[in-house]
Amino acid sequence: MSSLRQQPFRAAVLTLVWGWLLFLVLAPNLLVVGASTLTRDPANFLSLPLNLDAYRQLFDPLYLDVFLHSLTMAATTTVICLLIGYPFAWALSRVRKQRQMLLIFLLIVPFWTNSLVRTYALKLLLATNGLINSALLGLGWIDEPLRMLYTEGAVIVGLVYLLLPFMILPLYSVFEDLRGELLMASHDLGAGRLPTFVHVVVPLTLPGVLAGVMLVLLPAMGLFFVPDILGGSRNLLVGNVIKNQFLDARNWPFGAAASIVLTLTMAVLMLAHRLSKRHIGEEDSP
Amino acid sequence: MRWLPRAWLGLIYLLLYVPIAVLVVFSFNDSKSGYTWGGLSLRWYESLFRNNAMVEAMWNSLWLALSAATVSTLIGALTALALHRYRFRGKRLLNGMLFVVMMSPEIVLAISLLALFLLVGLQLGYVSLLLAHVTFCLPFVVITVMARLSGFDDRLPEAARDLGASDFTMTRTVLIPVIMPALLAGWLLGFTLSLDDVVVSTFVSGPTYEILPLRIYSMVRVGLKPEVNALGTLLLVFSLVMLSLSQWITTRSKS
Amino acid sequence: MKKLVLAGLLLAGLAGCSSDEPKVLNLYNWSEYMPQEVLDRFEKETGIQVVYTTYDSNEAMYAKLKLLDDSAAYDLAVPSTYYVSKMRKEGLLMKLDRSKIEGFDNLDPELTNLDVDPDNQYSVPYLWGTTGLAVDTADIDQPVTAWADLWNPEFKGKVMLTNDMREVFHVGLRVLGYSGNSTNPDEIEAAYEKLKALMPSVRTFNSDAPRVPYLEGETDVGMIWNGEAVMAQDTMPSLQYVYPKEGIIAWLDSFVIPKNARNPEAAYKFISFVLRPEISALISEDIGYATPNLKARDLLDPAVANNRASYPNEEDMKNAEFQLDIGDDALQVYAKYWEKLKSGE
Repeated sequence: MSSLRQQPFRAAVLTLVWGWLLFLVLAPNLLVVGASTLTRDPANFLSLPLNLDAYRQLFDPLYLDVFLHSLTMAATTTVICLLIGYPFAWALSRVRKQRQMLLIFLLIVPFWTNSLVRTYALKLLLATNGLINSALLGLGWIDEPLRMLYTEGAVIVGLVYLLLPFMILPLYSVFEDLRGELLMASHDLGAGRLPTFVHVVVPLTLPGVLAGVMLVLLPAMGLFFVPDILGGSRNLLVGNVIKNQFLDARNWPFGAAASIVLTLTMAVLMLAHRLSKRHIGEEDSP
Repeated sequence: MRWLPRAWLGLIYLLLYVPIAVLVVFSFNDSKSGYTWGGLSLRWYESLFRNNAMVEAMWNSLWLALSAATVSTLIGALTALALHRYRFRGKRLLNGMLFVVMMSPEIVLAISLLALFLLVGLQLGYVSLLLAHVTFCLPFVVITVMARLSGFDDRLPEAARDLGASDFTMTRTVLIPVIMPALLAGWLLGFTLSLDDVVVSTFVSGPTYEILPLRIYSMVRVGLKPEVNALGTLLLVFSLVMLSLSQWITTRSKS
Repeated sequence: MKKLVLAGLLLAGLAGCSSDEPKVLNLYNWSEYMPQEVLDRFEKETGIQVVYTTYDSNEAMYAKLKLLDDSAAYDLAVPSTYYVSKMRKEGLLMKLDRSKIEGFDNLDPELTNLDVDPDNQYSVPYLWGTTGLAVDTADIDQPVTAWADLWNPEFKGKVMLTNDMREVFHVGLRVLGYSGNSTNPDEIEAAYEKLKALMPSVRTFNSDAPRVPYLEGETDVGMIWNGEAVMAQDTMPSLQYVYPKEGIIAWLDSFVIPKNARNPEAAYKFISFVLRPEISALISEDIGYATPNLKARDLLDPAVANNRASYPNEEDMKNAEFQLDIGDDALQVYAKYWEKLKSGE
């Protein structure tokens, strides 16, 4: 219960906190929704009338193609991260405790390094005159250098490289929680390794998987600098389209509509994550 | 088959570090062309520091990161304390907004803030960058502090209040010391996030306040300058120091 | 006595304050389009610090200037002719006070007083150049002499195009026999279809530094700006600059001062600085583009002055087409097809 003496401080704190979030989170997001319903104006970026033209443009087969392509690339990235990250997280959780701290530290170090610079470093490796080709040519394994840069593959490699830790950390977290007892209980009840995996491990790690997917899939659609550096301004992500609409083509309603598509995708994934937690009986945290 | 998990770990770590190692090694490469080895040299580091615009961008970025981390730690800590201690309406909305900021793809955040700034007529420069950076750092600070608070015995602040301390005094003398490690960890995280940010900064920055990531971006796009390797190595070392500091603080606090 | 000195200092201080000339010039330019030496010398001589930001297309520059319109942060920008015209008509530019610009008369009369800006009330020509074919003769055996040659199926995955809407469409239009300055929607659409067929061959688009993909060996043939080709030839002599049969693309970039520029005085100083013959000559020698400054041409290193890539002769300029203003409506049509082209597979 708040006494009179408490009021000033508490009031100040709440005002600050609410003020900041309402002004810099709620309002901008509402503006984006609003902007997506306005019309493009060459002079002032936005003008009335209100309409749904921007959304109609989203369904233009051309842009639909771009979105699907971007989604495919993001999905591929996510799947690769999952295939690499799942065994990785499991193996990590099995390591001795003291070693684990060190290994996690080593995992996070690249993550804390500037992402632009890391993307650029990949260019040094993938270029036609780059290190991988030099090595392969030197070893005589190939005659002609491989054209790896400026391809869809290069973009995916870049995205995986930047986003892998985001998949591993939540997975590691659920594997840590996975009690050895549960596995033993499953064995005692006569289940073999594969059924144990399918019926015990997978459902229990599912929230971690979904968290990882959320943390990888969405950025994988928005990190526009990766196609810029590694993709040769082709193989565009939704993020590139949005950036282009805002900073080049100046079609703000369309850019806003595209960004709302991303937000809706996020909402869907969040819902899936919640449902999976409920499925395994974990309570929602307030 | 026992070695399989270890081998997988080793392989992935190797793949994670190869590009970084290449970067570091090539930052000492004497050759101009970037891909051929020309001997050891510090020339790119020298050239980096002779470039006034680059040095200015470095200072600007550091200052921005410092201020963004500090402000976001302040607001974030207060937010976490409010959520933990006070009862008020709309807690779910507050949590929701924080969650939205944290999970939203950066580009969505970027354009929403750009739209806001344009609407209110805010000049794009240091202030717009600061507001944006504090906003995206906020949820991370809140989470870090809340994690610390959740493991904390509530009876102490209650006792302090029973003894007559005002809310503010109690917060200052009891709670702050307790959450200090979380504050420091959150500060460091905010600092790093701010320093690294490209997506949001692309949209809300103006030419009056040049920051490092955007400079790097144009350098990388032109693609010819080996100084990028030197810059990258410096940033790597810097991150290593920051991260080690953060780890040290968290392990110390656990005692 | 002390009091007098103090008073004097105070007055001097106040006088300094009132003139309050901010010592910063915000220059917004194409990337790789200004030698660092010029900026350093300008800073040394005038004490004005140059904050240098770059863009890779007229569209990006225009969008940024519009975005920053009222908060006016740029003092100088360098648009191409058709954007000078567009920005002038939209009232985005400051009318130039020619009395503050020295050396304007050094400029080639053929490149001043153009339709895009009669009497040069808003712009001062900086550099002109051409966009032509780049051929890495080390990797390409067959002769490449025309834009149409880019469509050779053997070049699949080896072609580079500049990331410039008008230039790319210019190529498509010329190959079909139309003018590169066409405003006819049917012709533009036809060019789009033709260009679409080229897309599988295109490895990358680049306007940040078009020479880099060639230098890196990623692409072997395609479009390039003449200055970039000249700079590339320093380290890669096998890269040839070819004037295509259908005709080269010619363009002119000029200095403009945005309407709300904070420090126009510094801008005028900079323009005058660049117009000095020795500075213009230095620029042309360093980055390979042609200076419109006639006095500077006399000072040029003969190797540069005789370099056909930088300074084409009449034969080279046969069928050349200068980029003209085509109006906003036509630009919209181009923009629509450009997006389709870039977004498509």
